[in-house]
Amino acid sequence: MQNAILGLLASGPVHGYELRTAYEDQLVPRAKLNFGQVYTTLERLQRNGLVQNEVVNQSARPDKKVYRLTDDGRRRLYDWLKKPSKFDLDLRNETFVKLMLTRRLAGADAFETLAVERRECLERLHEITQARAKAAEQKAPLRTVLLLDLAVFRLEAFAKWLDRCEELFREEDTR
Amino acid sequence: MTDDGSTLAVEVRGLTRVFGSGESKVEALRGLDMNLSAGDFAAVMGPSGSGKSTLLHLIAGLDAPNSGTIRVAGRDLSTLNDDELTLLRRRNIGIVFQAFNLLNILTAEENVALPLVIGGTSRAEAHSKAAAALDRVGIGQRRKHLPTELSGGEQQRVAVARALVNEPLILLADEPTGNLDSLSSDRIVMLLRRLVEEQGQTILMVTHEARHAAMADRLIHLRDGRVVQEQTLPPGREVDEILQDLESPP
Repeated sequence: MQNAILGLLASGPVHGYELRTAYEDQLVPRAKLNFGQVYTTLERLQRNGLVQNEVVNQSARPDKKVYRLTDDGRRRLYDWLKKPSKFDLDLRNETFVKLMLTRRLAGADAFETLAVERRECLERLHEITQARAKAAEQKAPLRTVLLLDLAVFRLEAFAKWLDRCEELFREEDTR
Repeated sequence: MTDDGSTLAVEVRGLTRVFGSGESKVEALRGLDMNLSAGDFAAVMGPSGSGKSTLLHLIAGLDAPNSGTIRVAGRDLSTLNDDELTLLRRRNIGIVFQAFNLLNILTAEENVALPLVIGGTSRAEAHSKAAAALDRVGIGQRRKHLPTELSGGEQQRVAVARALVNEPLILLADEPTGNLDSLSSDRIVMLLRRLVEEQGQTILMVTHEARHAAMADRLIHLRDGRVVQEQTLPPGREVDEILQDLESPP
């Protein structure tokens, strides 16, 4: 969030209010940021000397406060852009725990769990691939298409992992 | 609508197919049942060796089962002689393979026109239908090119046009994206989807890619030569709605 805001300020000063719409319009489609989040982050960035604000006098309307990057802020942004991101592997996975339990407990069937999970995964994949196709057809912005692609490939990886679980459970059972 | 008035494009009952014998015997299909209604877009999924391609080849009449029945457009394939089978295939079935199987000495349009010419259609009519089919798959402007002058994705589009040129009741696709990079392969499946939505084309597609199978409306999961699960997928939602549901990146 902090870095996203630094990034939005990098091409020129922006009013706090406009940051929220810029986040949705330029970065993450349909993202819902609340003002509280935006202002808390701006305050923190200011405390750390990465952002400063100035008041712009407007003759016809009330003065407005705009935020701009400091040199430190710009350095911090470009350092961050060059560094690898922390990869979110999400291994505290509900399905994983369920599968491990259904393999151990009497009266539970891991293959049933796999079937249920696969159905759900394919249903989500269906929704998102359809939306992705529609977005491409309607010439939606590339960021929309790519965000949907990210969801598609994650779901597909999950489907592959479910298949792998099934193969290895079967192998284990015939041993 | 099929010949006997029902809406089943394909009806398969108790299908078995065994390859080899003795030690090397492989039971590819072990009593498989399935239906395909007109207008369906169904994907057959399953691990390799589950019988996916065997099933498709049997429905296409390219191979014969050991037992069981296959009805295509209401006709039991086992009751047809070679000529009748050829005719039924020509009228009702278009096939797209993993390898595009285009003739490299013919242009895109000539490749697409070929099945019509072989079937006795005049050259002029065959070529005008071929041009129309190439337009339908979005590649009309490349119709004078040789396959070697086209990308993989474009060649597969030509193969789809060739499969559609007879306006078949059913389009069978056997791993249609197996030879393509990920972006071109997604676009081929989107094209199939569009044929279903805009022209009511009936499609049965074999694939092992979950994201391609998920573009269909119905999923048929095979394992060990049998259907182990069928799934009808719900209609899509608006792009905006989906986006709002997605977890935003930090």
